[in-house]
Amino acid sequence: MFENIKPGDEIEVRWKYQLLNGILISKNHDFMIIKLKNGYNLAIDYSHIQSLNVISENKPLKLTREEIRGSGKKVTIIGTGGTIASYVDYSTGAVKPLENAQDVLYAEPDLLKLGDIDAEVLFNIFSEDMNQKYWKILAKKVYEKISEGNGVVVAHGTDTMSFSASALSFLIENPSAPIIFTGSQRSSDRPSSDAYFNLLGAVKVAQSDLGEVAVVMHSSMNDDYLSIHRAVKVRKMHTSRRDAFKSINAEIIGTISKDLDVNMQDYKKVKKDEMHLYENLSEKVGLVYYYPGMEKELLLKFLDRNDGLIIAGTGLGHISNDYIEDIKNIIDEGKIIAMTSQCLYGSVNLNVYSTGRRLIEAGVIPLGDMLPEVAYIKLSFLLGNFGQDDAKVLLAKNLRGELNERRKE
Amino acid sequence: MNEEKNKNIKIGLEIHFQVKGRKLFCSCEGEESDNYRGKIVRRLRASAGEFSNTDLAAIQEERKRNEFEYLITDNSCLVEMDEEPPHSPSQDAISGAFIVSFILGCTPVDNIDFMRKMVIDGSNTSGFQRTGIIGINGVFHHNDRKIGIASVTLEEEACKKIEQKGNVVTYSLDRLGIPLIEVSTEPDIRSPREAREIAEALGIAVRRSGYIRREVSSIRQDVNISLDSGNRVEIKGVQSLSQIQEVLEYEIERQTILNEIAVKLRGRGVRSFDLKPLSINEIANSWKSNIVIKAISEKKEVIAFRLEGLSGFLNNGKYRLGREIAERLRVSGIGGIIHSDELPNYGITSENIVKLKEYLSCGEEDAFAFIIVDKDSKANALKIIEERLNEALIGVPAETRAATPDGTKFLRPLPGKSRMYPETDIPIIKVDHNFLDEIKKKIPPTVKERASHLMNLGVSEQEAMNAIWKEYDDILENFIREFGNPKSVAKLLAVVFSKQEKDLDKAARILSLLKEGLITKDVLEDLYNESDKNLSGISKSKEESLESVIKEIVDSNIELVRERGNDSFKPIMGEAMKKLRGKVDGSKVSEALKKEIESRIRGMESNK
Repeated sequence: MFENIKPGDEIEVRWKYQLLNGILISKNHDFMIIKLKNGYNLAIDYSHIQSLNVISENKPLKLTREEIRGSGKKVTIIGTGGTIASYVDYSTGAVKPLENAQDVLYAEPDLLKLGDIDAEVLFNIFSEDMNQKYWKILAKKVYEKISEGNGVVVAHGTDTMSFSASALSFLIENPSAPIIFTGSQRSSDRPSSDAYFNLLGAVKVAQSDLGEVAVVMHSSMNDDYLSIHRAVKVRKMHTSRRDAFKSINAEIIGTISKDLDVNMQDYKKVKKDEMHLYENLSEKVGLVYYYPGMEKELLLKFLDRNDGLIIAGTGLGHISNDYIEDIKNIIDEGKIIAMTSQCLYGSVNLNVYSTGRRLIEAGVIPLGDMLPEVAYIKLSFLLGNFGQDDAKVLLAKNLRGELNERRKE
Repeated sequence: MNEEKNKNIKIGLEIHFQVKGRKLFCSCEGEESDNYRGKIVRRLRASAGEFSNTDLAAIQEERKRNEFEYLITDNSCLVEMDEEPPHSPSQDAISGAFIVSFILGCTPVDNIDFMRKMVIDGSNTSGFQRTGIIGINGVFHHNDRKIGIASVTLEEEACKKIEQKGNVVTYSLDRLGIPLIEVSTEPDIRSPREAREIAEALGIAVRRSGYIRREVSSIRQDVNISLDSGNRVEIKGVQSLSQIQEVLEYEIERQTILNEIAVKLRGRGVRSFDLKPLSINEIANSWKSNIVIKAISEKKEVIAFRLEGLSGFLNNGKYRLGREIAERLRVSGIGGIIHSDELPNYGITSENIVKLKEYLSCGEEDAFAFIIVDKDSKANALKIIEERLNEALIGVPAETRAATPDGTKFLRPLPGKSRMYPETDIPIIKVDHNFLDEIKKKIPPTVKERASHLMNLGVSEQEAMNAIWKEYDDILENFIREFGNPKSVAKLLAVVFSKQEKDLDKAARILSLLKEGLITKDVLEDLYNESDKNLSGISKSKEESLESVIKEIVDSNIELVRERGNDSFKPIMGEAMKKLRGKVDGSKVSEALKKEIESRIRGMESNK
């Protein structure tokens, strides 16, 4: 229908006996969207169009932009897609990731005041499409960049940001510069977006001496403070609020004020020459959320497909007693099964109840206050780079701050 | 009027009606509330519009770098806080908007496509107002005039501004998200008086939909006006119908004068303004002006410049260009400007002026001005002044202005279309044929049709219009059908609906007493205003009162009856009416009294 007209063309349409003049935005299955002179979009059904004339064809604006960089301490922003780097896709009316991280700099020139900003889009994917393959590429890229001694900011979709941040935390041991993940809960195409404050704060932390992987996001619903979270202790705890990210069973590393003053306590400082990149992640690991009434077959299928499985059990770390015998046999075959809690807050403890004690006897590894998602990433990292026996030992040991012995809340 | 016609006045109206019920994009109550439960602090930034132009008006606001504080009320949730995506729009609001669209003869859209209209003055937490077209290209008939209706849109109400302290603006979230139906007319209106009439008539017509909130604050008007094909000026926040006329009259005068200034400036040979600012701190050092002394002590700069050809236009009777410039500076947070038309003043003497004029090489027709600024705002201030002066050569700048009690003031440049971009959180909504058919059944008769129907029932035109305006025309009709007496019913209901508390039960009881003949027309209003006890007294007295009161009265006057027979009626009637006036119709009293007197006389005769 109306093949000869293209988005951007100025057209005159007779629709329901009204003469309309506007610019074609997009053509959909049963309607086209035109932008009227007053700025409104009107979605008009093809069935109601009596006639259509092209007044002038679209002349695409060629934006010739020079690459811009600021001056000061260098930071590389790596785009992976997600809300922090998105634009409006007029064909579907949906928010889509930016093509080019330079766009981020044009969108927020204040970044250039902070430092020499280098920007690069590594992927352009939705964060729910992340997986081990992307994490390996990302880790390698980040490793290359920080090897030069400059911090990196990874702009990431918030849905799986804590997975990716944990993956990098394990894959890059003793980073020689800060690796900071940030994102936004309100898309960057809106004036109220949290993207810019988050990004500015992340760049500031990337210029610090933080020798860890961290996540920088809003502390509260106010645009006044950002929190710096340890990658292996942070979790998205709200679907939509800008302060969705919370450190669980741990205190935050620090804060950033609205004037971008960074304040950090109890953190690992960068150490030169001790950095190590692990290049592998196992894809044969799983994460299962146990629920009452879960079919045993399902759980066994998970175990069948994988070399290791993290269970998010109930309460202190339990699953139905009906599974324990099968689980014991599978562990005896050499697979790793470890226990975390659906409660998220607090530590698992398999000594308190008889079910827990039976799980221990069966060989299930209790993972303390480690978050289920972090445990999943950690197991993927361990099975990718170490033997089964080492992996078993290392899984329950604190490597990157993912396990805390003391909890204050 | 004739003079106005010569100016080729074009006026358009944008009238906003709050819709009853829940908010447009969440389930919160659409009622105002000052029950505050906390606050959040936010900042906004301009973002690129659909065609990659950041809108001029948006930039203007961002220049101010304000911080916004939002008070959370019991009728606001995460949606108003911009912490949760909008929910599906209220079906009631959509229905109401389509009915209004049909009332105004608009063509309904095939699909509702909500847009984001950038508003970064903080009045929306998101930084934009969601708005979608419901109908376009209608016509509104008023007397013999046809006013084009450009569009009917459904949008969300903004926050209520509570206060501004420095760069912190406080808003309340209670009003944010209440559905608004916006009716925009074409610029077909020709005079301020007509604008007022059309606004009133449109208001009545739209209220007929039955979907509009009744609160006084629920209707607000914006007006736009241009003279002689000049630039359009939009005036926001006109509070009342009478203010429409006043504001437009003010604006016509203002624009006429600006055009006059433009002609005269060109006559003086001014082609463009290119300010040559000079720091005059050293000259001003010797002035005995408190403003200047204070400024210099605060290490501020005093920057002066010659204003070519502007002498007598800055502040001289009807010429007030100085004020226009000061308004521009103020919205960017820059303090005033002092110019030669207002001097000598502020401790600056004629001598000071002569010297400064000389220093700036001012000619006869030239003015001068100086500003007191800190280093950071100097360049911006000069740019703003230069921009406004160059606009003065053309006449009327395209602006959004605010209605004030005594006129209008500058708010921001007129926003362009690039401040609209698609609302990506709400899918495009298909408008179903069956839905439209159902809506069409709900279109109310026009005001004219409805008024003539009520007049046929026996109500005066004025009372019919009053009932329609206040939306009790259905009640009026029902009451007339039940109680008869159309004029009395209309009169009583006019009283009832003029009050805050409306007791329709009581009105019905009173009208039923009237119907039964137990009370008279002239006491309806008094009874309504009296306490309920008096009313129940009357209904009880239905049988006993009239007869027993009459009996009692005749008993006490029995000697009079004995002496004067039927002639005793007149004096006793007087006494009876004293007791029964208002409660029982006079003719009934007289009938009952006559009967009683006659029966007594008969009794006396038979006893003889």
